[in-house]
Amino acid sequence: MSTEDLKTKIDLLQGTLDMLILRTLLFGPAHGHAIAHAIEHGSEDVLQVEHGSLYPALHRLVKQGLISAKEGTSENNRRAKFYSLTVKGRKKLTAENSKWERLTQAIARIMRPVEEEGQP
Amino acid sequence: MKFRQRREESLDNEVRDYIDRETQDNIAAGMPPEEARHAAMRKFGPVQNVKEETRAVWGWVWFERLAQDFRHGRRMLAKNPGFTVVAVVSLAIGIGANCATFSFADAMLLRPLTVLRPSEVVTVGTVVSLEGFSSLVASYRDYIDFRDQSKSFDGLVAFTDSTYGFATERDAPPQIRFASLVTGNFFRVMGVQPELGRGFRPEEDLVPGRDAVLVLGHDLWTQDFAADRSVLGRKVRVNGIEFTIIGVAPERFSGMNRFLQTGFYMPIMMWPRLSHDPKSNPLEARDRRGLAIKGRLKPGVTISQAQAELASIAKNLERAYPDTNRNRGVAVRTEMEARVQQSPPDAQLVAMISALSLAVLLVACANVAGLLTSRAPVRAREIALRLAIGAGRYRLIRQLLTESLLLAVAGGFAGLGFGYLGILFFRRLQVPTDLPLKFSFELDQRALLYSLAVALTSAVLFGLAPAIQTTRTDLVKALRSATSDAPGRRRLWGRNLLVAGQVALSLVLLAVATFIYRGVSHELSQGAGFRTDHLLTMSFNPALVNYSESQTQQFFRQVTERARSTPGVKSAALTFSVPYGNQQDGATILPEGYQFPAGKENVNIFANTVDENYFATIGISIARGRSFLATDTATSPRVAVVNEEVAKHYWPGQNPIGRRFRLDDRNGPWVQIVGVAKTIKYLWIAEAPTEFLYLPLSQHPQQQMTLLAESFGEASALTAPLREVIHGLDASQPISNIRTMEEFYRMRAVNTPNMIVQTVAAMGVMGLVLAIVGLYGLVAYAAGRRTREIGIRMAIGAQQNMVLRMVMRQGLILALSGIGVGLIASFGAEKVLHSLFHGSQTDFVTYLLVVPALLLVTMLAAYIPARRASRVDPMIALRYE
Repeated sequence: MSTEDLKTKIDLLQGTLDMLILRTLLFGPAHGHAIAHAIEHGSEDVLQVEHGSLYPALHRLVKQGLISAKEGTSENNRRAKFYSLTVKGRKKLTAENSKWERLTQAIARIMRPVEEEGQP
Repeated sequence: MKFRQRREESLDNEVRDYIDRETQDNIAAGMPPEEARHAAMRKFGPVQNVKEETRAVWGWVWFERLAQDFRHGRRMLAKNPGFTVVAVVSLAIGIGANCATFSFADAMLLRPLTVLRPSEVVTVGTVVSLEGFSSLVASYRDYIDFRDQSKSFDGLVAFTDSTYGFATERDAPPQIRFASLVTGNFFRVMGVQPELGRGFRPEEDLVPGRDAVLVLGHDLWTQDFAADRSVLGRKVRVNGIEFTIIGVAPERFSGMNRFLQTGFYMPIMMWPRLSHDPKSNPLEARDRRGLAIKGRLKPGVTISQAQAELASIAKNLERAYPDTNRNRGVAVRTEMEARVQQSPPDAQLVAMISALSLAVLLVACANVAGLLTSRAPVRAREIALRLAIGAGRYRLIRQLLTESLLLAVAGGFAGLGFGYLGILFFRRLQVPTDLPLKFSFELDQRALLYSLAVALTSAVLFGLAPAIQTTRTDLVKALRSATSDAPGRRRLWGRNLLVAGQVALSLVLLAVATFIYRGVSHELSQGAGFRTDHLLTMSFNPALVNYSESQTQQFFRQVTERARSTPGVKSAALTFSVPYGNQQDGATILPEGYQFPAGKENVNIFANTVDENYFATIGISIARGRSFLATDTATSPRVAVVNEEVAKHYWPGQNPIGRRFRLDDRNGPWVQIVGVAKTIKYLWIAEAPTEFLYLPLSQHPQQQMTLLAESFGEASALTAPLREVIHGLDASQPISNIRTMEEFYRMRAVNTPNMIVQTVAAMGVMGLVLAIVGLYGLVAYAAGRRTREIGIRMAIGAQQNMVLRMVMRQGLILALSGIGVGLIASFGAEKVLHSLFHGSQTDFVTYLLVVPALLLVTMLAAYIPARRASRVDPMIALRYE
């Protein structure tokens, strides 16, 4: 997928991707592949990214101590790296959540009058 | 290492895990396995980029990448030893030339004052200029007014340097030492903390002649006192006056003089007692402008602000003291400006040599850039491959620049070797003096830092353009075949330009060297204009042993009388200065009837004080009138001898004998011209004809004089008997500068210009060698790319000669256009050189020598690869690839 195609999809802000990962891990530990698909499906395929771009974000979150990584065995007895939310990550998610709500409300307030003007 | 490897493996596993799972999912969704895997890869995105970005998250990546780049670069360079050696040697020449030049420039001009924050220190004073040499001076009274009335400075200091007779014990024979009289605030304002003892106290700056105390320079302390820490409080003698040592200056402070080590520092209040001039008190007379003033600018004050403030003070002084201060403005100069103005020829020399060595560096960089560019197609495949598997262009440029950096660093190290040879060469420059020089050519920290900077700059200079060009690769084409593409016109254009430029530059360098060489040998063959053989010099300064004025003049009379009657001496004379000597005097004159341009009422010219035997002894002929006579005494009318230039300038077409001028100023005494001496070279072998004035010793008593003894036999054989004579007169009298004129002349007039010629010639040869390598490389490269074409031509019947001519034509065109451009530039360079080497005109012989030589050598450089190309076996050439 070239960068041209990407621009037609929604550009994922870096912080947003981080938040989506944290949100996904709220349901329990998961490996990279599962996280990628969870995000993709959760957003009903609107937020499409190259799944590889997830990995730098995962490693960044580990470094920030928001999630932790552990080698483990998956359902079909394969070794894989599992990521899970840390306490710090959980707090961060809560904080981000309320921030996000405030932000969307603010945006919604700004956007609404335009619509009203557009439909007299 | 372990940790990094594990982390790397873990990332690999993660990526593999994702792709495996995705593939499984795809297969489960019904895709054929092959397609399933591809779809998984697409979904994941560029693996290398992901890994890079992840590593970037880990941190320290730039360092790892750098190490990686260096490893890779080292491998690439080791794989192409021929290329590497040529590139490194080219750079070593360029960097080495600049390293040596910097050392030269540093010694001559650049080394900063060894004071605290030297960049804040400026020079202040009235301009005195003499034939283009201009310095800033002031009298003590003027200094006090500047100091007390100005607000721009964190202190203004004044000092004056001189030689003194210094005895460590009461009865020890005095030694000649170089020392400074300084104002009381000197050490404080200059930020110099004595290593031992103390600096001067404010009260030692108040009463003339009272406080005979001194601070030793570190150098003299180690030399004369074996760095004895109990030296404080010891009594020493300076010009026979007892002084007490109160301190020792720190090692890093070597005094304000750029060329001589300052032995010790005394309060300026001791000046009257040391100066022996009964006529005027140096602390009172506003026209005794013997001081240098340095000021430390207050933070935030600009030079022009300080200048404006001082100018208004000077204006007031002009009004208050018209006799001494009329038309005496004031100037503020940075240390650099002051140095350049003090001796423009030195600065010009430094500028010329620096420009030449930069030219050599440019040629070297051009060479390496050319080599790198010609490797571009060879590397195109490697680069294309790396671009294809996802390496960023920026990353590749960085990689290529790292290779350049490696080359530059290797070249830099080798260049230090070259540079050191250059420094050893410069060290052969001898300065005839008995005083301790601090003027030295060093491969010190400054020179090393400069060389490093030069190496890094050159890496960017020669590396960036090829790197950008190399990574601008058409992937598909490059991957298909590395070498089949036709030589890009544009790419070769750049190289052609480089090589032609190299030829042009080396032509300029060689032409300049030849030009200087021919100029100097022409001047030398003209002769010095005075006798250089069978002459011995020795200098005396009786003030060093505290002679009174009349004792001094008495001593000088006795010296010549006794010397003349010494066996082996043909004649003997006294002179204040020796031609080409370090010590030159000037005089201010107002020729009668001469109309000066507005705002100027007198002129400074070089002058010498001599006795009546000087002209005969040194062999300067008197063209008209007479020389000085024993009948010219202190009480007889004042007389002078001028040289032909003065006569021509102020009394054109007239007989100057009997004409008069005033000495010093409008109220000065009239002096009558009694003779015209031949013009000689006074300071520098290639100087322009210089105006010069001679005054008789009997009417202008001097404190120090040099004895010139003409010998029947070997001049140096007179040393012992003449020493004996002086000893007989006064055993404690120090004698300095005992030298034969021949040796002195060789050092000053012959060796120095020769050294310049050799320096420039060496640069020219270096430039030429580099140009040859460049031309050879280019022709070989171009011919190599045409192997296939040449093969076809020969297969359909072209003769070897035709191929040879075809390939050589390219080299010839380059060489000729380079020579053309070089010729034009040389004419320009020559114009500049006229300021250093006077009397020389456009010298066609230079070009007759240089141009054919250059043409021949460049043709040879083109011939060798052309010949190789013409020997190509068509069968092999066609099968090639």
